[in-house]
Amino acid sequence: MNSSANTPDSTVWRSTRFRQWLDRRMPPSNAITLDQKKIFILPTREGVFFSLLIVFMVLAGINYQNSLIFALAFLLASLLMVSILHTYRNLSGLTILAGGTLPAFAGEDAEFTVMLSRLGARTYEALLLGWNRDLLQGADLLEDEEVKIKLFVETRVRGPMNPGRLLIQTNYPVGLFRSWTWVDLDMSTIVYPSPVPAGDIPVVSASSDEGKLLAREGVEDFYGLREYQQGDPLKQVAWKSYARTGELLTKQFSAFADRRIWLDWESYPGMDREARLSRLCYWVLKLDATNNEYGLRLPGVEITPHRGVEHREEILKALAIFEVEEFELEQVS
Amino acid sequence: MTGFQIPRNSLAWMLLAQSAVIAPHLTRLPYWTIALCVVCVLWRVMVYQGRWSYPGRWIKVLLVFFGIVGLALGYGTFLGLDPWVGLLIMMFVLKLLEMHHKRDGYVVILLGYFVALTQFLYDQGIPSTLYMFLCVTMITAALIGLNQTRSHTRPAQTFKKAFVLLMQSVPLMVVLFVLFPRISPLWTVPLQTEMAITGVTDTMTPGNIALLVQSDKLAFRATFADEVLPLSRLYWRGLVLSRFDGTSWTQELQALYGRLYRPGQRTTSWQDNMELLGEKVTYSIILEPTGQNWLFSLTMPEGSLKEGIGLVRDFRFYSLREIRSKLHYELTSHLNYRIDRDLSDFWRYRYTLLPKDSNPRSKRLANTIRENSLNQADYIRNILRRYNLDEFVYTLKPTVLGDDSVDEFLLDSKRGFCEHYAGSFVFLMRAVGIPARVVVGYQGGEYNRIGNYVEVRQYDAHAWAEIWQQGQGWIRVDPTSAVAPSRIESGLESAVEDENTFLANLPLSWMKYRQILWLTEIRLQISAISYYWDSWVVGYTPSVQMSLLTRYFGDLDRKRLGMLMLTTFFGLLGIVAMFILGKRSHKLLQPIDREYLRFCQLLAKQGLPRSVGEGPIHYAQRIGQQRPDLASAMQVVTDAYVRMNYAEDQPEKTDSLRSAIRAFRFRTLSISS
Repeated sequence: MNSSANTPDSTVWRSTRFRQWLDRRMPPSNAITLDQKKIFILPTREGVFFSLLIVFMVLAGINYQNSLIFALAFLLASLLMVSILHTYRNLSGLTILAGGTLPAFAGEDAEFTVMLSRLGARTYEALLLGWNRDLLQGADLLEDEEVKIKLFVETRVRGPMNPGRLLIQTNYPVGLFRSWTWVDLDMSTIVYPSPVPAGDIPVVSASSDEGKLLAREGVEDFYGLREYQQGDPLKQVAWKSYARTGELLTKQFSAFADRRIWLDWESYPGMDREARLSRLCYWVLKLDATNNEYGLRLPGVEITPHRGVEHREEILKALAIFEVEEFELEQVS
Repeated sequence: MTGFQIPRNSLAWMLLAQSAVIAPHLTRLPYWTIALCVVCVLWRVMVYQGRWSYPGRWIKVLLVFFGIVGLALGYGTFLGLDPWVGLLIMMFVLKLLEMHHKRDGYVVILLGYFVALTQFLYDQGIPSTLYMFLCVTMITAALIGLNQTRSHTRPAQTFKKAFVLLMQSVPLMVVLFVLFPRISPLWTVPLQTEMAITGVTDTMTPGNIALLVQSDKLAFRATFADEVLPLSRLYWRGLVLSRFDGTSWTQELQALYGRLYRPGQRTTSWQDNMELLGEKVTYSIILEPTGQNWLFSLTMPEGSLKEGIGLVRDFRFYSLREIRSKLHYELTSHLNYRIDRDLSDFWRYRYTLLPKDSNPRSKRLANTIRENSLNQADYIRNILRRYNLDEFVYTLKPTVLGDDSVDEFLLDSKRGFCEHYAGSFVFLMRAVGIPARVVVGYQGGEYNRIGNYVEVRQYDAHAWAEIWQQGQGWIRVDPTSAVAPSRIESGLESAVEDENTFLANLPLSWMKYRQILWLTEIRLQISAISYYWDSWVVGYTPSVQMSLLTRYFGDLDRKRLGMLMLTTFFGLLGIVAMFILGKRSHKLLQPIDREYLRFCQLLAKQGLPRSVGEGPIHYAQRIGQQRPDLASAMQVVTDAYVRMNYAEDQPEKTDSLRSAIRAFRFRTLSISS
C-alpha cells in the first residue's frame, strides 16, 4: 500500500528506524485520539529567543539589584513553562478521524478529508495540519464539536497512494513551543495516470467478434461530419453544407456508438508503458464525456465496454494499478 | 511589500500595549519622541487599513539616523540609563514600520517586554507594578493574537486568555522570586542620568529647611526591633555642617576624608573616640532614594553597613554612591555615648572658626552675655532662655535675611525656623570659643501602629546643634525646643498650628486631615501596605533572602537553595498542570439522561443490569421477556425517555419521565413486599 514515491516530505521519513519506531508507537488507524504517547513538544525558535530575553532580564535584575525586574523575568519564565502545558493541551484529547478521499490524476492534488473532533468542554485553537510542512491548513475547534477539513496532497506518479503520516501541530497560545504529532490515518487513494492527448481514437472495431451492434439514434451532440453513406437518415444530411459545396455529408452526433469501443494497449505500438497508459487515460475521459460505451484491454486485463461513472472509475483504476510494482521499481532506480 | 499581515487581533493589542508601556516614560523622553511614537502608530494603522504602504528604505534609514542624533542631542550623552531607555523605546516604535514577517511581530513583542522592564528602574511602587502587569498582559495578548487563526477576531477573548495564562504563572513566579538565589551585581551598570535630589541637602541657608518642610513626601520608614522610642527622642542624624561663611552652613570636607569605618576594622584611630554606653536600640530603615550620599541614624550607631557605606569622622553614615533606589539598612544605636572626649587643637580650631567680619553685632552680644554668665554651662542656659523669653517666634514664614543673617535674625526679625535657631546658636557658641556644629536630619515622625514603624516625611526635617564640652564630648542641644517645645513633643503641625502654615501649599495632602479619624485609618493602612511591599518585595535583597530562608530551612548554601527552588517549582508546576490538563470535563449529562441512568441503576440492583451498548428499547424488550410482571411499567419509562430524548424539543423537562420512574419504583416495591 505504501508508496514511497508518493510520500511527500520524505526528508522526515528518511530514517526508517524513526518510522518503525513511530509505527510501533502509533499504529495506523482510522480514528486516533491524541495522548501523551503521541504528542511531541519542543520550543520554537521564538521560544529560544524568549528564553534568552529572560536570561537577559535576570542579569539586569542582578546588576540593578531590582526585585521587580526579577519578578518580571520570573513571571515570563513561568509563562514559558505554563505555555508548554497549554500547547500540549491544545492537542491532547483531540480525535482525528479519517474521512473520504478523492482520487487524482498524476500531477494534480488528491483530496483527503479528515475530521477533527473534540470531547467535552475543551476547545482547540489554531491547529495546523497537512502532509507537507510547508503547506499547512489552519483549523479551530471552538464552538463546533467537529470540523471537517479537506487536505490536498500533490501527486507525482500513478498508482495507489498513501500520503503517509499526517502532521498536526500547534503553536498556540504563545508560539514559544510547538507541539506536534504524526498520525497515520490509514488513508489511501488512487492516482490515475496523467492524461496525454492522443491524436486518433484508437478504435478497435468491436463488430468483428462478439456482440450485436447497438444502432443508436445518437442525436444529442453534434460531433462532426463524414461522407454520406447509403442508409444514413436524410434528417442528418448536412443540407446547408451541400448547398455550399455540393458535397453530400452526414452530420454525426456524439453518440456515435453504434459501435462499442475498445481502448486497447495494442493501439500504441512502439510506445512505452506509461505513454500508452496516459493516452488510454485521455481517451477514457474523452469517451466518458461523450457518453460512449467503452472497454479496456491491457495485457492480462479486460474490462467489457460499458458506460457510467462507476465504469469509468473501474477502468481508470485498472490503468492506475497496471504493472504498478514494476513501475515503482523503475521509479526507485 | 510582502503579503503578510499581522492579524488584526494581534496588531490592536500590540499598538495598545505599546502606547501603554511607553506612557510612564513620556515625562523623561525628549518631546519629539512622543511625536515619533504617534506618527509610527498612525502610519502602522494606515498600513493595516491598506491606505498607505510601508515607508521606503531611505525613509527608515533617515528616521533611525535622526532618532539617534536627536537622542544624543537631547540627552547630551549616551553614558547614563535614560538615553539607552530612549533608544530602546525608539527602536520599539520604529519596528512597527517594518513588520513584514511574523517574526517581526515577535521582535516588537519581545522589545515590549523589555521596555516594560525599564519602568522598574524608575519606579517600583505598587501602582506602577500593577500598571506594568496590565501592560504585560496586553503584550501577551498581542503574542497570543499572533498565533491565532485569522478567523479569530475577538480581542477581549484574547486578552482574557493572556490574563488566565499570566495568573497561572503567578504562583510559579512567587516560588522563583522567593527561592531563586540572589547574588550581588556582576558588573556595574549605567544609572539614571538625572536624579531629582530630595531631602535635606549639605548646605543650610536660612529658609531652605522651611522650604523643604512644605513637602509631605516620604523620607524613610524605620522599624524598631523592640519598643518604639518616644517621638521626642528620635533625632535622625544625617549631616554635620560645621563651615560657616556668614550666611550658609556647609559640610566640613575634612570630616569626609577619613576612611570609611566598618566594623571589625581597626584601621582608623578616631574610632576609639567613640564610647558606647548601655541602652541599645535596634532598628531598620528603608530610605527613599535621595540622590545624595548621606544616611540617617539615631545617635550613636554601631557601624554595620554594606559595601561602600560606612561611618565618617563625625560619626554619621556616608555612602560612596548616591542613593538612587530604595535603601534598606539595619542599625544598632546606643542612646548613651561619649564621642571625642578629647578634641585635638586642629578640630577645636575648626569648630570655633567664624568668618572674621561677619555678624559683628551677634559677636558682641555673645561676649556681653558670656561676661554676665558664671561659666560655660550658665552661658548656654542664658542663650536658650533668651530664645525662650525674648519675643522669638517659631514660624514657617521667616523674614528674608541679608548677608549678616545671624545679626538680622537675633537682633532684628526674631522670626525663624529651626535652621535659624540652630545656626544662630552654633554661632553664639563659637563666638565665645565653645566648639559647636550644626546637625541636619529629621526629628520625630509618625508612628504607624498597623505596620509598627515610624514614618518620617520631609516636613519632619530639622536642624539642631551639637556642642563640645571637655570630658563629655559632643552633646546635642536643640535650640528649637527652647522656642517651640511642641515641635519636638508633637511635631511640626502643632508647632505652627496658630499661623496655619502646615503644608499650606498642599491643600489636598492626606497629612492635613489627620484629625479625621477614618481618613487617617485608611492612610495608615495604605502606608502599611506600601511598607510591607518595600520591605518584602522591593527590599528582598540577598541578605533578606538568606535571613528569611535560614529561619525556615536552616542553613542553606547556594546549591541547596537551587535544589529547593527547582523541586518546589516543578512540584507546583505539576499542580498547575493538573489544573490545566485535568479539566477534561466530559459532556455534562442532560437531566433526562441522568434520570434514566439512575433508573438503570435501580434495575441493576434488582439483578437486571443493562448490558454494555444495549439501547433503551432493546433493554426494555429483554426485561419484558425476563420479567413479564415489570414489562408494562418498564415500557412506560422507556417510552417516556425515548420520546423526550428524540422527539421533543425540551429534553430539560423531566417531569413525565420522573413520574413514570416513580410508578415503576412503586410497582417493584409492591411486588417485592
